[in-house]
Amino acid sequence: MWKKVYEWLDERLGLNDMYTNLLDRPEPTGNWWNTLGSASLFLFVMQGLTGIFLTVYYTPSPDHAYDSVQYIMEGVAFGWLIRGIHHWGATLMVLVVFIHMLRVFFTASFKYPRELTWLIGIGLLLMTLGMGFTGYLLPWNQRAFWATTVGTQIAGSVPFVGEFILKALRGGPDLSALTLQRFFSAHIWMLPALLAGLIGIHLYLIIKHGESHFPSKED
Amino acid sequence: MNDETKKKINARYERELNKGERFWPDSIFKDLIVSLGIFVLLVLLATFIGVSPEPKADPSDTSYIPRPEWYFLFIFKFLAIYGQIPVLGKIEWIATVLIPGIAVGILTLVPFIEKRPDRHYGKRILPISIMIIMVVGAVLLTMTSEVPTVSADGSKFLGYLQSISGLIIPTVAMTALILMSFVFKGTSTRTMIWTTVLASVSMILVSGVVLALHPRSVVEETEVATTLVDQITAGQDLYSIHCTECHGDDGSVAVIEGVEGLEGEEITPINSKDVLYTITDSAMYEVIAYGRPNAGMTPFGKAYGGELSKSEIDYMTIFMRYMWDDRFEAPEIKPLFPALADGEVPSYDVHIQPVAKRYCVSCHRAGKENNNYLMTSYEEILTTGDNAEKNIIKGDESSYLLQVIQEHAIMDPENPEEELIGVMPPSKALKPDVVDVFVRWIMNGMPQTAEEAAALFVLPTPEATAAP
Repeated sequence: MWKKVYEWLDERLGLNDMYTNLLDRPEPTGNWWNTLGSASLFLFVMQGLTGIFLTVYYTPSPDHAYDSVQYIMEGVAFGWLIRGIHHWGATLMVLVVFIHMLRVFFTASFKYPRELTWLIGIGLLLMTLGMGFTGYLLPWNQRAFWATTVGTQIAGSVPFVGEFILKALRGGPDLSALTLQRFFSAHIWMLPALLAGLIGIHLYLIIKHGESHFPSKED
Repeated sequence: MNDETKKKINARYERELNKGERFWPDSIFKDLIVSLGIFVLLVLLATFIGVSPEPKADPSDTSYIPRPEWYFLFIFKFLAIYGQIPVLGKIEWIATVLIPGIAVGILTLVPFIEKRPDRHYGKRILPISIMIIMVVGAVLLTMTSEVPTVSADGSKFLGYLQSISGLIIPTVAMTALILMSFVFKGTSTRTMIWTTVLASVSMILVSGVVLALHPRSVVEETEVATTLVDQITAGQDLYSIHCTECHGDDGSVAVIEGVEGLEGEEITPINSKDVLYTITDSAMYEVIAYGRPNAGMTPFGKAYGGELSKSEIDYMTIFMRYMWDDRFEAPEIKPLFPALADGEVPSYDVHIQPVAKRYCVSCHRAGKENNNYLMTSYEEILTTGDNAEKNIIKGDESSYLLQVIQEHAIMDPENPEEELIGVMPPSKALKPDVVDVFVRWIMNGMPQTAEEAAALFVLPTPEATAAP
């Protein structure tokens, strides 16, 4: 019975091909440092899942953002756990992505034929920082408000176009409801969509070229 | 890169694959173990450390010192150190845009800058050394981010040390390394490694000195009430301090008495249905923040020159709602202080402080008419006031404070017809258990901490009572 179901699915999905092409591939002898990439992916998925749960109660308006986060922490069953994981996941993700970058740099894994994988990787690193920056404002507490005030001010110090960047980020000359709204939008739609797309390309390139081997004296 | 090198690299990789492992299950197994470990770590962090509570955003509170998320701290610190450079330091965008832009640009273009196919560490001393110095620098900048470049006493010494470890040493070391690779090509690998080690170690040492010399500042913890009960209690304390003078401790006052300038003013009792049913939380917030200047109510919100933050006003409205509005069900509120057992001695920290905050501080704080008697701290209660020497006398029931809270006004010895100190609190007598707390506290020597009070605890044993 199960065999028949499997065969039916295989005919249509090509499960066997997937197995041979994706999973049953040869790899150079692995190293624990090589797990940091998959750890970053795992953290991205965790952030996505906990983030989706948080949007159920979170309200992106200056009048309600703070109270809705309070409610998540006190009123919602296991809300504190979901928010706690999301909060610490952000810290760990930045850390893990950064160490992953260092690992690739020190083992020179970015060299031929993996240059493009590195470029995409830098994009992923910057976007992870962008997620951290936009997510920091959302609880709408003192820390968030003033850190974002200063952060956007720094972006505003760019010569000539600084004024424009500042207004584009804040949605006006000052931090307001618009700022919160667009940071929220960037945090839950724009950046994650870009991140997911880039992660897709990153993974495709890794499967295409295989994981790099640990360099020895020969290399 | 020519085709021959590419072929060599691919052939080399092929050999590694042949003596390697399978993606499934070998590699995936390791990945899963690490991911599982991270998951457990996340749950532990969320459970045992959690997210520290912060007060609500308050755009009017410009005294707040902004701190970014920790992974941006090194950029903040770099900006502060850079700002010390004469002339160039005044051109902000060099540090905020140009230098980070160049750094990110170089990082992005690494595969096109370092084009040689060599991968082993021994053949990549320059890039690895530069990266190590950059990472050590960023970590140290993050760690010293608490230390200001100009100390509280105006000394710039720590600022100079920070520029040495955060700017000068790394720049000099990296310049030296680049010169060694491209100009003095004879330099041995060993010299380059030693340059890196020396630079890193001296950066760590100088930063260590900075951290050691930096006076540990006591971080002022803002109290954030997270549960409803805490918020109501915090609101009631704030209400007691700022509102009772005019509105009374239960909000029932209709004609203000005993307040200079507002004597006899008629007001709507704020605990009445008229007020509570028709004024929303946000309107109530605005009334407290902006006041009612025409009716004599001063602004209390920081935005309008008062002293209360957004969170604090929120706590007050929550208190009024839950305690006075009959449409809301009040949760069980913790007692103001734990009840005293026989022979137990109350302490300032556990008993007197909350009582004083609730019943006395409203008037007995700076800027009010109170014979200069302030009650906001342990020292103030014992030492301030025009009658400080007679106010609190250890073990003496005739202490002025004990007299007036037990409804005996103190008469002026020079003019026996005049009251020196009236009964306290002026409007409503304290409950017997509160009076008892003050009596026991003063009779037993005014202990400050709970430990000191516990040391004075004498169990009334049968023998002690039976002794002659």
